[in-house]
Amino acid sequence: MKTTYLDYAATSPLLPEAKEAMIRVLDGMENGQIGNASSLHYAGQNAKNIIEDARKNVAQLIGADPAEIIFTSGGTESNNTVANIFRGQKIAISSIEHPSMLESAKAYAGKLAILPVDEQGIVQWQQIPEDADLVSIMLANNELGTIEPITEVKKRCKNYNTFVHSDATQALGKIHINVKELGIDYLTISAHKIGGPVGIGALYVRKGSAFKPLLLGGHQEDRRRAGTSNALLAAGFGAAAKWCWNNWSCKKYLQIAKLRDELCKRVLNEVPYSSLNGFEKAENGNTLPNILNMSFQAAEGESIQLYLDADDVIVSTGSACAAGDIQPSHVLMAISGDAEVAHSSIRFSLGLDTTAEDIDHVMAVLPKVIKRLQEISTIKIKEPK
Amino acid sequence: MNENSQPFAYSEIVKEHFLNPRNFLMGDESAYSHDAEGVVGNPVCGDQMKMFLQIKDDKITDVKWKTYGCASAIASTSALSELAKGKTLDEALEIGPVEIADFLGGLPQHKFHCSVLGHEALAAAIQNYRS
Repeated sequence: MKTTYLDYAATSPLLPEAKEAMIRVLDGMENGQIGNASSLHYAGQNAKNIIEDARKNVAQLIGADPAEIIFTSGGTESNNTVANIFRGQKIAISSIEHPSMLESAKAYAGKLAILPVDEQGIVQWQQIPEDADLVSIMLANNELGTIEPITEVKKRCKNYNTFVHSDATQALGKIHINVKELGIDYLTISAHKIGGPVGIGALYVRKGSAFKPLLLGGHQEDRRRAGTSNALLAAGFGAAAKWCWNNWSCKKYLQIAKLRDELCKRVLNEVPYSSLNGFEKAENGNTLPNILNMSFQAAEGESIQLYLDADDVIVSTGSACAAGDIQPSHVLMAISGDAEVAHSSIRFSLGLDTTAEDIDHVMAVLPKVIKRLQEISTIKIKEPK
Repeated sequence: MNENSQPFAYSEIVKEHFLNPRNFLMGDESAYSHDAEGVVGNPVCGDQMKMFLQIKDDKITDVKWKTYGCASAIASTSALSELAKGKTLDEALEIGPVEIADFLGGLPQHKFHCSVLGHEALAAAIQNYRS
């Protein structure tokens, strides 16, 4: 049986264009044609040109000027960098931010406000405190797909001179993003969610917005991020960004939204005691076109994931078992307040290669997997109200 | 992938017990006549196990179980049911987390608590029978 990969939100397959761009760089590194981008000689300038070319492609995808793009090691570093700028100051974030934002804000903020979300995961932006120095609200949530009202956030913050950051790691390439239209100060993005390599991301910093480097000890990235510039990964990131731009990836995702909505409808209809976390229809633009989060009464997430894995369907679970304790997803806890619902959830995330056959494959195996786990379970099924 | 890598996060025996669990109690538990039952864990914490025992002359003649939890929780309860069947109550109380994990060909360190849970459910059932 062909494997159905529905874990694109965890990482997406490397685009052939990104792979080829990186192979060209590797060849150049092997034969001495590509050196350290900080060096003034020929090989150094070759590396520098690769990086600057990539910067243009990444900037283009989000409507930024290339000088406003800082390459980082990924979304986590970009988020940490933003929190660090506001060390000791007042930061407001949503309760469903990615752990890299949640934890860095907790560690660095002088005062931290955690804003609640509604049952679909929409942040209560009306509660943004007037005296916040930074507000950080993700563009779209990684577990639910819910798209946050960044325009409203920005409007409210404009009155208070509050800086605005948004983590767009999951949204990049899936929905239209233009930093000038959004009018925000910082935006986090990552390469491997759009078919680029793992290990590189970027932080958009609007010209004139507050900045302080997280990594010190080098003049790279215009003194904003120390460390030898990575021409190899930049080439891969640039190629993936260029592919998304040239191929109108956001438009292609409108077709994927239909498959996502179809999967949602079929799961609710064909799998007894299933429920939806987040919005039902991506076609309406409330949620990303490729993420679907569902819960299954009395069936635990990891077990569902591994039963599906045995049937060649790859999905992910919100519950991460770490250090001996299974912590239910903080996102599902925030929207449902029910640990059982949180432990019993699965995230399907689709990509541009997902087909109607993949949805059929899921629906051929999911009902029997859930039935088996419900039979084994200690939890008695509650009939829905 | 190198030849030593395993494509499943657990051992082959865990996988086998997870995908084909032994002795679990299908459907309504009241339909299975049993002499003792024990429960441990809480769905809120992500794992819960129930053991149901038929006991004759101080010996476990049959074991059924139910589990809500991860692959390791399901496999370890399945393994425990195989280990406990036919044993005297005192012998069954000797089965500890190490025996269960060994039977399964090892468990990841951070999953070890799941097999400890199975043993506690069995002990609770025996205690329930004796009290």
